[in-house]
Amino acid sequence: MPGAELRERTEPVGTQVAVPRISLPRKVIASVGAVCLATLIGWVWAASRLPPSWSVMEMGTVELGGHSRGHEGGAAAGRVGGTSVADLTADPTRPADVALTLVARQQRINVPGGVDVDGYTLNGTSPGPTLRARQGQLVQVSLVNESVADGTTVHWHGLDVPASQDGVAGVTQDAVPAGGEHTYRFVAEQAGTYWYHSHQVSHEQVRRGLYGAIVIEPATADEGTARGGPVTRDVIALVHQLSGQPTLNGRVADEHVVADPGEAVRIRVVNTDDALMAVWAGGPFTLAAVDGTTLTGAAEVAGQRVDVTAGARADIVVHAPADGSSVRVHLGGSRSIVVGAAAAAPAVRQPAQVLDLLTYGTATPLGFDAGAADRRFDYVIARRPGLVDGRPGLYWTVNGRLYPDVPMFHVSEGDVVRFRIANESSESHPMHLHGHHVLVLSRDRVPSTGARWWVDSLEVAPGEEFEVALVADNPGIWMDHCHNLPHATEGLVAHLSYDGVTSPYLLGGHAGNRPE
Amino acid sequence: MRKVYLVLAWALVVEVVIQAGAIALGMGALSHHVSEGGVVDKASLEDRELSWVGEIGFPIHFINGGLVVPLLALALLVVSFFAHVEKGRRVAAVVFVLVFVQSTLGYSITDSPYVGAIHGANALLVFGASLYAARLARVSASAVVAAKAYEDARS
Repeated sequence: MPGAELRERTEPVGTQVAVPRISLPRKVIASVGAVCLATLIGWVWAASRLPPSWSVMEMGTVELGGHSRGHEGGAAAGRVGGTSVADLTADPTRPADVALTLVARQQRINVPGGVDVDGYTLNGTSPGPTLRARQGQLVQVSLVNESVADGTTVHWHGLDVPASQDGVAGVTQDAVPAGGEHTYRFVAEQAGTYWYHSHQVSHEQVRRGLYGAIVIEPATADEGTARGGPVTRDVIALVHQLSGQPTLNGRVADEHVVADPGEAVRIRVVNTDDALMAVWAGGPFTLAAVDGTTLTGAAEVAGQRVDVTAGARADIVVHAPADGSSVRVHLGGSRSIVVGAAAAAPAVRQPAQVLDLLTYGTATPLGFDAGAADRRFDYVIARRPGLVDGRPGLYWTVNGRLYPDVPMFHVSEGDVVRFRIANESSESHPMHLHGHHVLVLSRDRVPSTGARWWVDSLEVAPGEEFEVALVADNPGIWMDHCHNLPHATEGLVAHLSYDGVTSPYLLGGHAGNRPE
Repeated sequence: MRKVYLVLAWALVVEVVIQAGAIALGMGALSHHVSEGGVVDKASLEDRELSWVGEIGFPIHFINGGLVVPLLALALLVVSFFAHVEKGRRVAAVVFVLVFVQSTLGYSITDSPYVGAIHGANALLVFGASLYAARLARVSASAVVAAKAYEDARS
């Protein structure tokens, strides 16, 4: 029989494999499970959505740093009552000592030595003009936004200006729209090297050209000394990646600083990029200042490199060789400055050893007791997958929470504040606090014994932990964020707010404020 | 569901091939860039704009390896509970664990470069396990076809 034959042939298969049938109860369970899961995902998604506009004052978790005071006004009060950040200004009656107009344009940038690219300029160039003033002078800068479509602002990176002048869109002002103008006024209290850049859509606008250097000369005529002699030449080194092109002061080219044999040259290195930059030289040099603060007792460095945090500055003093040759100072992997009479100098290998600023220079007395802190905060950085504004991604967390549920560190004027900054993620973070300089007390619990290491931008490598202190002496609402600017867009941003200070500005909103 | 299992398993096989190709492209392009006088430093790595030929290999590898492959492995594991694939759940779980290990190793390479050697070898295990999963789904498929034929013949 044909049927019997077939049975004989196929029976072994038929006995081993059951025809798939999903039972009804299982179907019901699977369907209910799927609906529950979809509802949960939908709820989490909806909860992560940001409103069209929101105030930084209502954002995040209020942290009081172990202090009971702070609920009155400030973060808890939202946008009403207290002192508005807009009222924290320089003396409005004082005339300006230095005036500058910056015209921002969205246009093609001329890149000498490289390829022209679409970007942003200030007064037709990128970088924009250098702002120069003497310590104590009142600086007035008129920002004219001619054509930057997203709007723009100027932030004075490292200068502890009054809060209303800080240039952070949505926190201390509204972004200046195309066709608009805004005037900044502040007293240049600190001497040293600083820089300015946009703080509206900053990850895009800074990268594509909206930045420039600031040099504040000391109030006294002292030009600084090195090896007992004066520093007679002073150059700026703005290092920037522009569309993959490594630029130095806007040009894809190295520079030659003509100097007499033995002459001391100060190179004001500004790292305008998103990453740590190594600086080293073919001969001895001195690291005279970091982030605008002179390092006391700074000795000559040889066979070591200086790591300059993203956003940070390093004043390097190098002497032109006495024999009439030149020395090369490397600024990151690509660019360098040749100092001396000769136009050429050999390139040198990058030293493996990094100059440790914990022990460099000599300690000087401190004006406050960092041990007796009024507030102690943790700023612990990690990363996890999550949803921000409905978008799934791998986001940074501050103290375990995702943006916008990040800390609002609350302080009162006059407080001594300590932060423990710990990086539990696998990438380094150049942390930048606005409006203040912080003193590094220790790294991985090893105390600082060298010159007082004051910074506004601090590189925190994976696994590292810093203790820093500051004196709360500049009321306002201050951003405290990662200066690897795309990281800030991925949630690595928190704020420091003063008791009783509020911000009338909104993130998002009609001005389209997007500070990151 | 079995077909979905089969497609996901094959997708993982193809992804491993893409991953190997992408990282080889990136590394080749990197040596080319450097040999032409180009420089790579942290600033150029953090610059998210692609600026030299073949650099695209790196973002492909990172996005695939950090997101697409883990999601495919997770999907395979979930689907395995509904797809009637003999040993399908067990193999999908093995694939998922291997992929988890692979991503963790990948994220650790910057800290401990020697981990890279294991990352490369583990890729072969992901490839093998995914291929095995795909074969299981096909075997189960042919078994089902045979079983159906048997039922038809009986009726």
